[in-house]
Amino acid sequence: MSLWAALINVLAALGFSWARMTIALLISIGFSLCVGIAAAVNQLAEKTIIPILDVLQSIPILSFFPIALYAFISIHPVVGPELAAIFLIFTSQAWNIAFGVYEGVRLIPSEILEVSRSLGFGRWRRIMSVYLPAAFPKIASNLPPSWANGLYFLVACEVITIGEAEWRLFGIGTLSTSYILSGRILEFLVSLAAVVIAIILMNLLVFIPLMRLGERYKFEERAAEVPRVWFEKLSRHLITAIERIFPRRLKLPSIRIPEIKASPRILKAAALTVVAIAAALLSYHVSSMLSSPLVGEQLLAALDGFVKLGVISPLTMIGFSLMRVSLAIIVALLWTIPMAILIHEKRLLEDILVPFFQIVASFPATLILPFIAKLIVDLRLPLELGALLMILLGTQWYVLFFLIDGLRGIPLEEEEVCRSLGIEGFSKFRHLYLPRMLPSLIMGCLVAMGGGWNTLVVAERIVLENFTWDVGSPGIGRMLSIAVSRGDLPLLIASTLWMVGFIVVLNRLFWRRIYEKAVEIVGAAR
Amino acid sequence: MRGNNSREIKEALLELRNITFGYKMRGGEKLKVFDGLSLSVRYAEFLGIAGPSGCGKSTLIRIMAGLLKPEKGVVLFRGKPLEKPTPRIAVMFQSPALFPWYTVLENVMLALIHEKELSEEEKMERAKVFLDMVGLIGFESAYPAELSGGMKSRVALARALVSQPDLLLMDEPFSNLDPLTAISLRREIETLWQNQSLPPSSVVIVSHDIEELVELCDRIIVLTRRPVKIAGVVKVNLKRPRSRRSEEFYRYVDEIYTFLS
Repeated sequence: MSLWAALINVLAALGFSWARMTIALLISIGFSLCVGIAAAVNQLAEKTIIPILDVLQSIPILSFFPIALYAFISIHPVVGPELAAIFLIFTSQAWNIAFGVYEGVRLIPSEILEVSRSLGFGRWRRIMSVYLPAAFPKIASNLPPSWANGLYFLVACEVITIGEAEWRLFGIGTLSTSYILSGRILEFLVSLAAVVIAIILMNLLVFIPLMRLGERYKFEERAAEVPRVWFEKLSRHLITAIERIFPRRLKLPSIRIPEIKASPRILKAAALTVVAIAAALLSYHVSSMLSSPLVGEQLLAALDGFVKLGVISPLTMIGFSLMRVSLAIIVALLWTIPMAILIHEKRLLEDILVPFFQIVASFPATLILPFIAKLIVDLRLPLELGALLMILLGTQWYVLFFLIDGLRGIPLEEEEVCRSLGIEGFSKFRHLYLPRMLPSLIMGCLVAMGGGWNTLVVAERIVLENFTWDVGSPGIGRMLSIAVSRGDLPLLIASTLWMVGFIVVLNRLFWRRIYEKAVEIVGAAR
Repeated sequence: MRGNNSREIKEALLELRNITFGYKMRGGEKLKVFDGLSLSVRYAEFLGIAGPSGCGKSTLIRIMAGLLKPEKGVVLFRGKPLEKPTPRIAVMFQSPALFPWYTVLENVMLALIHEKELSEEEKMERAKVFLDMVGLIGFESAYPAELSGGMKSRVALARALVSQPDLLLMDEPFSNLDPLTAISLRREIETLWQNQSLPPSSVVIVSHDIEELVELCDRIIVLTRRPVKIAGVVKVNLKRPRSRRSEEFYRYVDEIYTFLS
């Protein structure tokens, strides 16, 4: 009987969480379209938007969540936390979609743009019949990772404790955490299973049909195909269904969009009004926030936080954290490189393994973090091992998928040259796979490192109701978590800025450079 | 001198017997490319293969190279079944397909990876000899991205020849080159093939450029649309180097066009 109750509970919680996710995803798509198209079309916009997005995507979201929470709660005490959660999920979903849109629109062959110009397409029509279809496949293929990412943080943001105050949103994250902590393993497993099933359904019913649909809008000649598996039939029916309702107008040739003759002026006016209202609201809000004594004082106190932290101790913490993340990435590389090559060489395996990994990867690791934490503590295993495991869960998939993608981009003729010259085994790895993989390997490590910094915030220390997981040795994530549970906003801001600053510097000085180097080695000569 | 047809050599260097091959299409249907095709490449022969575009000429080259396995039928190379690609058969693809992260010299040396008895220096010497042959001496340490299209094709040719193959297969090797470069590269390949002390013994070239085929080949096999059959075989009895302007030349070209249409 209690199991039934639990099931109903789980389903309800799932519904709430999914609703938050969907709202955030829709906002992300809208945001990405505006920002991505603007950046791809306008040079000035490109120069401002891309660096900002780049910094934003490398910021560990969890670290500035408490800050966002403060801001949102000042809007409304009840709706605020809900909005904060949606905002947090949005920040975990939007960047890759925005980059995808940008890339998709930027890579439109110039012939197509010229054709659309010579056909006298207006701006609106160009957006509808060229930019949107070009962005569509990129959006579609970015939906699953965005969803997975959102889910990861959703679980983490449903409960937030700042000092004495605690906000709890009803959702799958809170529910499953309370199950595991109260030792109700069966109910915990039910909630995990529900999430897995929901993810699979989401992929089957929404993402895969959309990706398949997006395939036909690709400009590349040998576009990587969405793996086709057993659910092929099901999703094909769905495509036809979707096609019937939705994107007739997305088809590239012969699109008929009602010409809105007077529209540009009206549109412009409307857009201006919206922007003006938004700006007014925002500036009102910011100024009232700044003028409110509480926030003003705390901003000043942030300086105090810096003083309190000093220089040596944050650097030590960052050093420890960097070591943990790097070790996790090395461990990830050890298994993902052979796996990616295996998948690349055995097409049959690809059909089975890739969807399998996609589903496993989209499972939010944060749901099992409490489980790992409890296991490590109960079995008295080294705490660092627990942290490593948690970081690994948050990083390895990035590496794997980037590697698979990189290998997929190998020109067929290079493979054939290797075969006809008898280059196999390790020498094939050395002469072909490694150089071809290099850019995506580095990109994968870069993104994984971003994921790793994010995971740190929970992997080094989490407070779960009455149970606290703490890695014990220094760490910048641990510091953040301590600042949050103390409700020490100055300390929180200071350590967040340290972390963000370090990540940005690391990306600029290290990752960017070796990525460019790798691209140079592999050569743009395709 | 070879290729004068003064003495016909009948034995086959490479033989395709009753080849059947198809591709799986999206919906699971099968697209039959070859259904019982047989042909052979003779010793010391320059063989051309012509056919309507999309008929499967590239697939044919890949089957001859051992890169693709036919579903039915056998490929015999020097009388023995060809199970997998061998260094004795070299391929030049439509694009040069050089590894952009290696220098010109390293790209050519890559083809000697299995020559265990050669030292690194010997491999280097051998690679240089072939680079010299295609007129690329002095460019050993350049990277492919720094080369023009014609030079890349020359590197690909050197790489194909350095393992001293008996058979050189070429899949539209000149289609991505400008006309002038193509002319000089054609000359070079013809000269190399005519020189008996140098590889390869036989050359197979696939092309949609009929005049190119008549200029180079002893024998031209014209293919039909899918499933591919042999529409006709044309023997070209012209003195080399052949001039494209002669009336005889155009008779051959017309003959091939009648088979194609």
